[in-house]
Amino acid sequence: MIHLKDINKTYQGAQPLHVLKGISLDIAEGEFVSIMGASGSGKSTLLNILGILDNYDSGEYVLGGALIKDLSESRAAAYRNRMIGFIFQSFNLIGFKTAVENVELPLFYQGVGRRKRHQMAMEYLERLGLLPWAEHYPNEMSGGQKQRVAIARALITQPRLILADEPTGALDSKTSVEVMQLLKQLNAEEHKTIVVVTHESGVANETNKIVHIKDGIIGRIEENLDHHASPFGINGVMK
Amino acid sequence: MRDIFAEIWATAKRNKLRTGLTGFAVAWGIFMLIFLLGAGNGLINATEQNNNQFMDNSMVVFGGETSKPYKGFKEGRPIQLNDRDFGLTKNRFATHIEEVGAIVSQGPLTISYGENYTSSPVLGVFPNYQAINKIEMCYGRFINNIDNEQQRKVIVISDEQAKELTSRPIQSLIGRYVDVGSNAFQVVGIYKKKQSGSSSYGNTPFNTLRILYGGGDNMEQINFSFHGLDTEADNESFEKSLRSSINKNHDAAPDDNSAVWIENRFTQALQMETGMSIIRTALWIIGVFTLLSGIVGVSNIMLITVKERTREFGIRKAIGARPWSILKLIIIESVIITTFFGYTGMVLGIMANEYMDMTIGHEQVDAGAFKATMFVNPTVGLDVCVEATLVMVIAGTLAGLIPARKAAKIRPIEALRAE
Repeated sequence: MIHLKDINKTYQGAQPLHVLKGISLDIAEGEFVSIMGASGSGKSTLLNILGILDNYDSGEYVLGGALIKDLSESRAAAYRNRMIGFIFQSFNLIGFKTAVENVELPLFYQGVGRRKRHQMAMEYLERLGLLPWAEHYPNEMSGGQKQRVAIARALITQPRLILADEPTGALDSKTSVEVMQLLKQLNAEEHKTIVVVTHESGVANETNKIVHIKDGIIGRIEENLDHHASPFGINGVMK
Repeated sequence: MRDIFAEIWATAKRNKLRTGLTGFAVAWGIFMLIFLLGAGNGLINATEQNNNQFMDNSMVVFGGETSKPYKGFKEGRPIQLNDRDFGLTKNRFATHIEEVGAIVSQGPLTISYGENYTSSPVLGVFPNYQAINKIEMCYGRFINNIDNEQQRKVIVISDEQAKELTSRPIQSLIGRYVDVGSNAFQVVGIYKKKQSGSSSYGNTPFNTLRILYGGGDNMEQINFSFHGLDTEADNESFEKSLRSSINKNHDAAPDDNSAVWIENRFTQALQMETGMSIIRTALWIIGVFTLLSGIVGVSNIMLITVKERTREFGIRKAIGARPWSILKLIIIESVIITTFFGYTGMVLGIMANEYMDMTIGHEQVDAGAFKATMFVNPTVGLDVCVEATLVMVIAGTLAGLIPARKAAKIRPIEALRAE
């Protein structure tokens, strides 16, 4: 699904910052992976590259068999739209659109008709238990509800890859658990490939594979099939 | 398309003040342009109407006072036009001159009919007086050549005078005799007094009046229509040679500009036309600059809009919006706002002009002797209104295009970082 080979990324500026120093990583279809690291380790940059939100300087990134390199904005937009669902720490919902309108938006950019779009968005909101909130604006919802709207929006195009950037970063521990349960369920039941970026070991512990990144280099990849092994994982306490 | 409208409606509703301000800038620009041009047109039309009361290709010559000593005469000598000048004008300048006439005047004289009377100056005129002064007849005819040759005692009075002389319908006066001073004149015609002309005159044949009042061979004015003088330079050289010929008759210096006065309606009209076109240009310049301020308003607000919405565009891009769809969104929004408010401004401008037409457009300034309309038809053609609105819409689009391109180009990751 994802094949990274020797990815390098430097932020140009007054003092050039070499953020990713040769990242090579393979993620197979259906894997549930977390990328862990301290702030400034380059984990978010890596996720942005995976999400084609940012470009890289050298190396090779193959997503679902397609080489992602120097794409035009339109091509990149099309890939993002069809292949990838995004979940952000700050939800990134559009404030003047209702929950259902936010969920519909990716389909709008696919050119799906209005009625079909609405119907599908309502279905996804129902799956996430948000039907009563469909006509509410983001500022009328709690953090957990907003994140679930964002998840519905990420899922509606039925992408094969879900990228989550600190999905629980702005949530309390109870809703964090709920969100992680949701992601686990998606991985288990629908075999979605999910990549979560986090600095919380409790969150990482919920995933099946943990990639540790430090100073732009992958340190250690640990298989984490027994989620109860770590003391952080007991009873799903993450914080 | 419906989705785009829904999107724009939603953003406009969310940003009422911003949308309102943009709209105001646009509507105001169009409104002011149309209103200004309308008022200007009203002024121009009124001036043209007031000037239109004389035949364009005509000149009037009348005597003045010498301004320099010549041939032993000192300056300040009054010049009286006479038959020699008339003959000279008629014969020597025959190539350009069509019909020559002259005027003597008496009065004011009392014109009475039965119990009623009115008092006014009486002119002795040639038939060409009618054409040169664009006199419109209500009833009967104007003075003709036979009247003049036979020195008939006939008179043409104004409708206003006629109303003073009889309480019956004024056409009943035609053929009747009225007393003018101590002589009986037959009324042969009634002319329509001009709204903006000077007071009423009684018009009689030139020869009749001159002989009755012992005018000798003198005359007050020589007037004529001409042709073949198409430029200002032609007119100037013609006037110069006419002046020097007449001056010579009276032993005045050929280049003495005040010995006789020449009033050339053609060059006056030419100058008036130049003046009007200057006013017109000035109005357009002011209008266009007003329009420009509207355009600047639109661009300014579009810039702010795009900056404010950068993060939103980032989100849209992250979930699959192509640069083109962002561009389209901004441009269509800009076009719709400018079209809607431009149209509003246009309608208001036209309404204001119509209101002006209904009120001061029909109001006359009464200066006692004459009445003048300040504004005549102060409106702008619909084509100009539509063009102005179109210019606004196109400019609004261009104004939206620059920030829109910037927004469409920005990488999603940078847009998402924006706050």
